[in-house]
Amino acid sequence: MLLIRAIIRPEKMGVVLSELCDAGFPAVTKMDVMGRGKQRGVKVGEVFYDEIPKEMLMMVVKDEEKDDVIKLIVKNAKTGEKGAFGDGKIFVSPVEEAYTISSGENGL
Amino acid sequence: MKEVLAVIRMEMINKTKEALLAEGFTSLNCRKVLGRGKKKVDVAIIESIVNGVEISSPVVAQALSEVHRLVPKRLLSLIVKDDEVKKVIDTIIEVNSKGKAGDGKIFVMPVGDVVRVRTGETGELAI
Repeated sequence: MLLIRAIIRPEKMGVVLSELCDAGFPAVTKMDVMGRGKQRGVKVGEVFYDEIPKEMLMMVVKDEEKDDVIKLIVKNAKTGEKGAFGDGKIFVSPVEEAYTISSGENGL
Repeated sequence: MKEVLAVIRMEMINKTKEALLAEGFTSLNCRKVLGRGKKKVDVAIIESIVNGVEISSPVVAQALSEVHRLVPKRLLSLIVKDDEVKKVIDTIIEVNSKGKAGDGKIFVMPVGDVVRVRTGETGELAI
């Protein structure tokens, strides 16, 4: 199992969530985060913002589903055809065990 | 060292904290998140609850206003030693299990290293 953490633009969250649901990945957790990337923030006129509001999507999927999920997120979270700075990042980390609390069962 | 991530019901956080404290797990991180699981959320039930008790919580309102219904949950994160993982999981399941969908999930992930900022200690000493 793998934990996929995607930091994306807040305005893209709706599309990504509905596309994930249609593709058969309904289970997600999202949270509001603030951050900056390699561009060190954004400069609007004279003001430099180094903490930009983003939303983080977390989901645990099976190893073989990883590529599909990442492709879907990348496709839908992009700005325009080529994409733009600030579209976000996706991180994947290993998960050793998963439990469902209601039944105590091991597994996704 | 392992990180235990648990998504639980909002109202269960105090009981869970007490139970974990009783077992000797003092340190934890927790934050409010929105999420959905495998099952579809029955919107009618939520709306009846909201209307019935007249809660105008912004979190509930926000979750209801979204196209894909996300339910407010608590995300709990603990970093523990390898041999304590089982105890944490059992405690969380015991307190939170009502046998209904929506009780939550627990994930266990490996942690590379831990550093205590105050002293610079690393590894299991820093937990």
